[in-house]
Amino acid sequence: MTQLVLFNIFNGLVIGAFYALMALGLSLIINLTNVINFAHGGFLALGAYFAYTLDPYIGFWGALIVSPFLAAIVGLVVERVLIRPMYNRDPLYSLLLTFGLAFVLQDSVRFIWGAQGLPVNTPAILNSPLSASLFFLTGYRVFMVALVAVAVAVLFYVLKKTRVGMRIRAGTLDLEMVSALGVDVRILRNLNFGLGIFFAGLAGVLAAGMLGLTPTIGEGLIMPSFVAVIVGGLGSLVGTLLGGLLIGVAAGVVTVFYPSASEACIYVIMAIVLLFRPYGLLGEKGGTKL
Amino acid sequence: MDDKGSSKGISRRTILKMAATTGAAAIVSPRIVLAAGEQPVKFGIDNPLTGTYAITGRNELHGMELAIQTINAKGGILGREAKLIVEDSTSGDAGVAVQKAHKLIERDKVDFLIGNVNSGLTEAISQVAYAKGVFLLDPGGHADPITGTECHWDVFQTCPSTTLLVNAIAPSLIKRFGKKFYFLVPDYAFGHGLLDAYNVNLKKYGAINVGADLIPLGTNDYSSYLIKAQAASPDVIVILQNGEDQTNVLKQTVQFGLDKRFHIAGANIELETLEALPPEARIGNWVIEWYWNQPGVAHVQEFVDAIKKKTGRVPTARTWFGHTSIHACALAANKAKSLEPLKMARALDGLVLPPEVSLQSGPAAYRANQHGLIGTLWAGHAQAQGSAPDDLFHVDVTIDSNTIAPSVAETGCKMVWPS
Repeated sequence: MTQLVLFNIFNGLVIGAFYALMALGLSLIINLTNVINFAHGGFLALGAYFAYTLDPYIGFWGALIVSPFLAAIVGLVVERVLIRPMYNRDPLYSLLLTFGLAFVLQDSVRFIWGAQGLPVNTPAILNSPLSASLFFLTGYRVFMVALVAVAVAVLFYVLKKTRVGMRIRAGTLDLEMVSALGVDVRILRNLNFGLGIFFAGLAGVLAAGMLGLTPTIGEGLIMPSFVAVIVGGLGSLVGTLLGGLLIGVAAGVVTVFYPSASEACIYVIMAIVLLFRPYGLLGEKGGTKL
Repeated sequence: MDDKGSSKGISRRTILKMAATTGAAAIVSPRIVLAAGEQPVKFGIDNPLTGTYAITGRNELHGMELAIQTINAKGGILGREAKLIVEDSTSGDAGVAVQKAHKLIERDKVDFLIGNVNSGLTEAISQVAYAKGVFLLDPGGHADPITGTECHWDVFQTCPSTTLLVNAIAPSLIKRFGKKFYFLVPDYAFGHGLLDAYNVNLKKYGAINVGADLIPLGTNDYSSYLIKAQAASPDVIVILQNGEDQTNVLKQTVQFGLDKRFHIAGANIELETLEALPPEARIGNWVIEWYWNQPGVAHVQEFVDAIKKKTGRVPTARTWFGHTSIHACALAANKAKSLEPLKMARALDGLVLPPEVSLQSGPAAYRANQHGLIGTLWAGHAQAQGSAPDDLFHVDVTIDSNTIAPSVAETGCKMVWPS
């Protein structure tokens, strides 16, 4: 039993890393723009379908690099055309907009690529367990965790060390002041939204290798990602990362004892966290930090 | 937001528009009244178009649409045009499915209710149909109670029941692969029914259930369950999921390499699932409920060609379910010479389907006083590639369901007909 629990804890960390990747994109967008992006799952699906389409021409590795950028470009356009007019309105408007946009994206994918699930091929080198005793460590999952780690490290570096990253961080604290100092906040918000969607696109390519590729691929992943953001604490990217890992491990451990509750347990965790720390594990009222 | 426009008074132009519309309505409405005497025969489709069963629901719809075209080309039903009214039941929300059933019955006044892919939703809809005395044909909800303990005189089931599916494969799995079975079970009526039927078979043939996980519908990641299954060291891991869930679990089973260490099997598999899987994940032993590749069987090629022309793909079992269900309704109405539910139910009770509807080598009939369709089942294994791009299932044996079906008494159906 102990071995089983340890297996599931480790496996939960792997899944949690994936949730965290998606949640980081969500968190970036919420922090700077106050937009709760319900269409994040739709952008994830776009990233996955772009990869499927590009795979025959540039292979899995090429698609892995190009697809998130294509998703991000769509994100930039969506932000410019649809999201930007909502910034000065009640957040409910943008929430309703992205809620509707999620359906539009899903049906667009269905219209372009069809409703039938599509087979996504991953490189043979990633398609097997690394050892017989640690069979749950497949090449693909280890690669996924490594990629998430690299993506998070790059994101944190960009936010901490680059000019645009520092402006994004400053903007999450006081956007008016950043604007008063001469920074074009429209471009800043646009880039930030695109960066968030880039993460969704990357999560989409990774998900397509693990799950079946269907227009609803993002549907089941969006809620755990929101939970990761809330549990970790709004405004805290480290918290989001921690939230993702926590719910991944919790779901894995609960599966050992009571499988039917594996999904419900993440919402129970969210309720408990909100009860005792309303701003999440690492969140602070009105504050945004790495 | 500037909403001054909404606070303006009604303009002269608006009044003129309203007057024109009212006038047009007055001219048109008598024609609608005149046409009411020849209203089409309506089929209310309460089936998923979104969610995990979206693709199976859509394929059933393609079969239904083809059946409607064929029926209308031959003069319709009782000389009237047949027409589908389609509603999205969702894949798992019984509340929505029931609401849509009420809408179809009460507002659209449908003559037939058709649904649902999801067994749990079918059970919910069948209660509505029974209470309202409306004829219901269940194309793809497999749960035993639909034509078992909860059978009704006005409810018919085209797809095989869960017990039939399991009876078609379990004895051979036990004989060929061993006696220890571990189950991954979708946590709703369909999965529970399959597990119950498996347990009956295990007991009957001296095998054992070493573990079963009830897993929420729509789960994406199965790694935790696969870790548990591996730890139980079974001979066979039985995957009872369906739809997108089945795709996900099979893909992850192969990535974990469990197919190299255990035998993988299940109950039914859909061609939709096999098409969504990469070749290396097309594994395991299954039952398929209708297969397009039946060389030499009358009318099958015509059906395959018609669906290919319509959708660009070969028909699946789901397409056949939809096609057969609509034709069965038409046969019932034409035989009864009436659209009265009781007369149609009497007409379809025990009716043997004609070959152009059954599309299989043996006879297929809605069993009298139980209403499950008893026909042919195909047991075999998934294959990476066959004789054609869509030939992804190798049929090992065709099974006459009469040889494996429980008796009417064993199903628990005690049908009560209205006097």
